[in-house]
Amino acid sequence: MTIEFNLSLLSAEILLTGLALLMIVLGVFLKSKNLMGYLSLVGLIVSLFLVMTVDQTKGSFFYGTVQVDALSQFFKLVFVSVSILVVMAGLSKYKDHPAQDEFYVLLLLATVGMMVVSSSVDLVTLFIGFELASLSTYAMAAFDKEKQNLEAAMKYFIFGSVSSALMLFGFSLLYGLTGTTRIADIASVVAEDMGPALLIALLFVIAGFGFKMALVPFHMWAPDTYQGSPTLVTAFLAAGSKKMGFVAAFKVLLVALLALRMEWYLIFAVLAAITMSLGNLVAIWQNNVKRMLAYSSVAYAGYIAIAFVVVGATAGQPDLVNGVPIAIYGLAGGLFLILAHAFMKTGAFIVTAVVGDMASSEGKDNPDGIEHYAGLGRRAPITAFCMLIFVFSLSGIPITAGFMGKLLVFGSAISAGLVWLAVVAVLNSALSLYYYLRIIMYMYVKEPAGGKISEPKGYVLSMVVTVLAVVGIAFCTETFFQLAQRAAEVLL
Amino acid sequence: MISNAISLMIAIPLIAAILAFFGGKAAKYLALIGSLIPLVISLQMYQAFDKTTTAMQFVESYDWVPSLGIKYTVGVDGIGMPLILLSTIVSILVVIYSWGEGKRSNQFFALLLLNEVGVLGVFTALDFFLFYIFWEVVLIPMFFLIGIWGGPRKDYAAIKFFIYTHVASLIMLLAIFSLYFVYSASTGIRTFDMLTLIQATSDSAIFSPSLVNLIFLGLIFGFLVKMPAVPFHTWLPDAHVEAPTAGSVLLAALLLKMGGYGLFRVIMPILPNASDKYITLMAVIGVVSIVYGAFLALSQKDLKKMVAYSSVSHMGYVLLGAGALSVLSVQGAMFQQFSHGLITCVLFMSAGTIQHTAGTRIISDLGGLADRMPKFAVLMLAGFMASLGLPGMCGFVAEALVLVGSYENLPIYTLIVIFGGIVVTAGYHLWAMQKAMFGPILKKYLDLKDPHVYELLSMSILVLLIIYFGVQPGTITDIMGVAAEPLVSFKPVMTLAQMGVI
Repeated sequence: MTIEFNLSLLSAEILLTGLALLMIVLGVFLKSKNLMGYLSLVGLIVSLFLVMTVDQTKGSFFYGTVQVDALSQFFKLVFVSVSILVVMAGLSKYKDHPAQDEFYVLLLLATVGMMVVSSSVDLVTLFIGFELASLSTYAMAAFDKEKQNLEAAMKYFIFGSVSSALMLFGFSLLYGLTGTTRIADIASVVAEDMGPALLIALLFVIAGFGFKMALVPFHMWAPDTYQGSPTLVTAFLAAGSKKMGFVAAFKVLLVALLALRMEWYLIFAVLAAITMSLGNLVAIWQNNVKRMLAYSSVAYAGYIAIAFVVVGATAGQPDLVNGVPIAIYGLAGGLFLILAHAFMKTGAFIVTAVVGDMASSEGKDNPDGIEHYAGLGRRAPITAFCMLIFVFSLSGIPITAGFMGKLLVFGSAISAGLVWLAVVAVLNSALSLYYYLRIIMYMYVKEPAGGKISEPKGYVLSMVVTVLAVVGIAFCTETFFQLAQRAAEVLL
Repeated sequence: MISNAISLMIAIPLIAAILAFFGGKAAKYLALIGSLIPLVISLQMYQAFDKTTTAMQFVESYDWVPSLGIKYTVGVDGIGMPLILLSTIVSILVVIYSWGEGKRSNQFFALLLLNEVGVLGVFTALDFFLFYIFWEVVLIPMFFLIGIWGGPRKDYAAIKFFIYTHVASLIMLLAIFSLYFVYSASTGIRTFDMLTLIQATSDSAIFSPSLVNLIFLGLIFGFLVKMPAVPFHTWLPDAHVEAPTAGSVLLAALLLKMGGYGLFRVIMPILPNASDKYITLMAVIGVVSIVYGAFLALSQKDLKKMVAYSSVSHMGYVLLGAGALSVLSVQGAMFQQFSHGLITCVLFMSAGTIQHTAGTRIISDLGGLADRMPKFAVLMLAGFMASLGLPGMCGFVAEALVLVGSYENLPIYTLIVIFGGIVVTAGYHLWAMQKAMFGPILKKYLDLKDPHVYELLSMSILVLLIIYFGVQPGTITDIMGVAAEPLVSFKPVMTLAQMGVI
C-alpha cells in the first residue's frame, strides 16, 4: 500500500476548514454587516472549483482511510453547491444578525464533515465526518432561538444521537467479526456464513443510516425538525445532510456488505415502497408548506432508495443496458436523482424562507402556512416563478432535473425486473402531483392576500441560480449522467 | 422551402410566449404574430409536402442524451400533416377570438402560445421521449387556463384535469419504458426512436406476444383517456364547463386530437402484433362512445356541457374508424379528427359568446337570441348543422367515410346502433338551437346585440373552412388515404433509416 501525500487533492476541505477557523477568530473582532457571508461564499465557490478540477484518479491518504475518487467528488459537488445556495440566501436572511459568524462557521464545518464522509473508505473516518456534520447541524437547527427551533433541535439531537449510537454499535460488531475497519477489507472477509451476529450488525447499520436518510419507519424526526428549524437550515438538512446519509449507506452497504445483498435488497424494496407512499399520503394533508416539503422529502428518500434495490437485485449480473451493467445504471440514476433533489429541494425551501419572512414581517401567525402563498404570482413574481419550476421539477414534469432523475431511477427498476416497484413509484409520483399543484393553485389562482412585496437580493440570487441548475441539469443530462456513472463505477 | 421548418414552427410560438409574458399590453399582438408565422410555415410545408409517399418528411434529428439514446427527432407524414395544419389554424383563430381578453392578458396569450408549442411538438415528435415531453407540456397551459380564467369550480376542475390525464400519461410512460428497456436488453441498443421501437414489436424474439399485449394496453389507455372515450371521459365535462372559452376550444379542437393521433401513430402499427381482441375492443368502445356520448349530450341543461359530450360522441367515430380497419374508415377517422377540430371550435365559441352576452348557458333560460344577434345566429347555426352532419360540410364527409368503411368489416347491427345515435345527435343539436336561438325573444334579452367583430371573424373563417372541406375534402383526405393504406394492410413499419430520410 503506497501512502501518497499529495494533499492538493484535498485542498477544498483544507481551505474550508482553515476558513472556518479563521472566521471564528475574525468574528470576535469584526462585526461587519455581511463580511462573514461574503467570505464563506468566496471560500465555497473556490472550493467548488477545486472539487470540480481535481484529478479524479483515485488518491488515498492517511493510511488508506480517505480516498478521492469520482464518487467522493460527485457528492462534494452536491454538498458544496447546496452550501453555496444556502449562504447566498443567508446574505439576506442573516444580514444584521449579531451572531452571523457562528452560522457561517457551523455551515462550513458541516460541509467539511459531509465532504469527509463522502471521501472516507474507513468506518472510523466515516463516523468522524458524520459526527462533525451532525454536531454542527444540531447547533444550526436551534439558531434562531425561537421556541419551535429549540424543540426541533432537541428532537433532532436526540434522534440523531441515538442513530449514531446504533450505527456505531453496528460498526463495532462488524469490526469484531472481521477485524478491520476498512470498508474494502470488510467486503473481502464478510461472507454469508458469519451467523446471526452479522445480520444484527446489518440491522443496526441500516437503522443508523435509515435515520439520516429519513426512511420510514425512521423518519419521525424529519418533519418536526424540518418544520421547526430556521428555513435555511432546513434547506441544508434536507438537501445536504440527508444526502450524507445516502453516501454513507452506499459505501457501507454496497461495498462492505454486498455479500449480504440478498438479505437487504428486499428490506430496502419494502422500505422504499412504504416510504414513498407514506411520505406522499401524509404530505397531501399538510397546510404548512414547510411540513409538506418535509414529507415530500421523505417520499424522495423512498424514490432514491430504489437505487439500493436495483443494485441489490442485479449486482454482479452480466445483463447490460447499452454496455453498462444494470446495477451501475440504477446506481447512477439514484445519484442523478440525489443531485436533482438537492437543488430543487434547496430552492423550494428558500422560497418558503422568503414567504415565511414576508408573513412574519406582516405579523401573521404560522408564517409557513399555505394561505400566505395566495396570489404570490403577483406579490412576488420572481419567487413564485422559481417555486413553479421547483414544484414542477419535484412532481416530475418535463423538462426538469427531477423528471430526468425519476425517469432514470424508475426506468432502472423496470430493467431490473422490479416492475411492481416502478409501478408503485409512478403512482406515487402522480399522487404527489396533488399537493404540489395546490401550491401552484395558491400562487397563481387565488387572489393576493396583500400588496407587492420586495424580494431580497440574496434570496433572488440563490433562487435564480437554483432554477438555472434545475433546468440546466435536465438539458445537460448527458454530462451529469456520465459523472454519475463514473461515480457509480467506483462503488461496484 | 426553409430548412428546419418544424423546429422553427415549434420555436417561434415558444419565443413569442416568453415575450408575451413580459409584454404587458403588447401581448396580444405578439401572440398574433407568434401564431401567424407557424401558420405560414405550415401552409408552406403543405405546399411542399409530397402527397404520394408514406415516408417521413421534413425530418430533423439531433442527439440529445446519447448515453440514454434520447434524440431530438421530428418529422411529419400523412398522419401528422393535417393535424399540424389544424393546430396552426385553430391557434391563430383562438388568439383572434380572445382579442378582448382583459384579465391578466399577458399571461393568457402566453399560455395560448405555449399550448401551440406543445401540440405541434406532439404531432411532430418521432422520439418517444420527446413525444412524452410535449405530451406533458400541453397540460401546463391548460391547467392554468382553467385554473385562472375558469368558472366557479375552477380549482376542482383544473386539478382533476391535470391529475386524471397525468395518471394516464404515466401509464403510457410505463409502457414506453417497457418498450425501451426490453429492446435495449435484447439488442444492446438504447433508443427511444418511435419507429424503431414500433417496428421491433413485430419481432417476437424481442417482444413476446404477452408483453406486446401489456404494452399495447398501457399505450392505448393513455390515448383513450386523452380522446376521451367512454368510460374514461369523466374529466372532460368538468374541464370544459369550467374552462374559459379559449381553453375549451383548444381542449376540444387540439388536445383531444392528441389521443387520436396516438392511435394512428403508435397503436395501429402495433395492432398486428397484439391480440385480435383489441380490434373488437376498440370498435366496441368507439360505438359506445358515439351512442352514449350522444345520449349524455341530449340530457344536458348547460349548452357548453352538451357540446362537451358531443365531443365524446364525435371522437367515438375516430376510434370506430380505426377499429374498423379499412382504408376508407381509417381515412374517415383521420378526417373526422380534422373536421371535428374545426366544427367544435365553432360550437364552443358559440357557447362562450352566449355566456358572455346573455349571462347564462342554461338552454331553458335562453330564447330567441337570433332576433337580436342575427349574424351570430347564422354562424352558430352553420356550426350546429355541421356538427349534426349536414351534407356539404366536412362533418358529414368524415362520418360518412367512417360508416361506409366500417360497413365492410363490422357486423350490420353495429351500424344500426350507430344510426340510432345519429338520430339522437340530430335531436339534441336541433333542440338546443331551436330553444336558445329561435322562437319568440325573451324580454330580458331585448338589449343584446351581435358580439364583437373579432369573435364573428374567427367564427366565420371557421365556417368557411368547414364548408370548403365539405365540398373539397380531397385537398386533405388524399394525404390521409396514403397514410391510411399501410396501417390497414399491416405493412411493417419502416424506420427513418430505412426510409432513407436520415
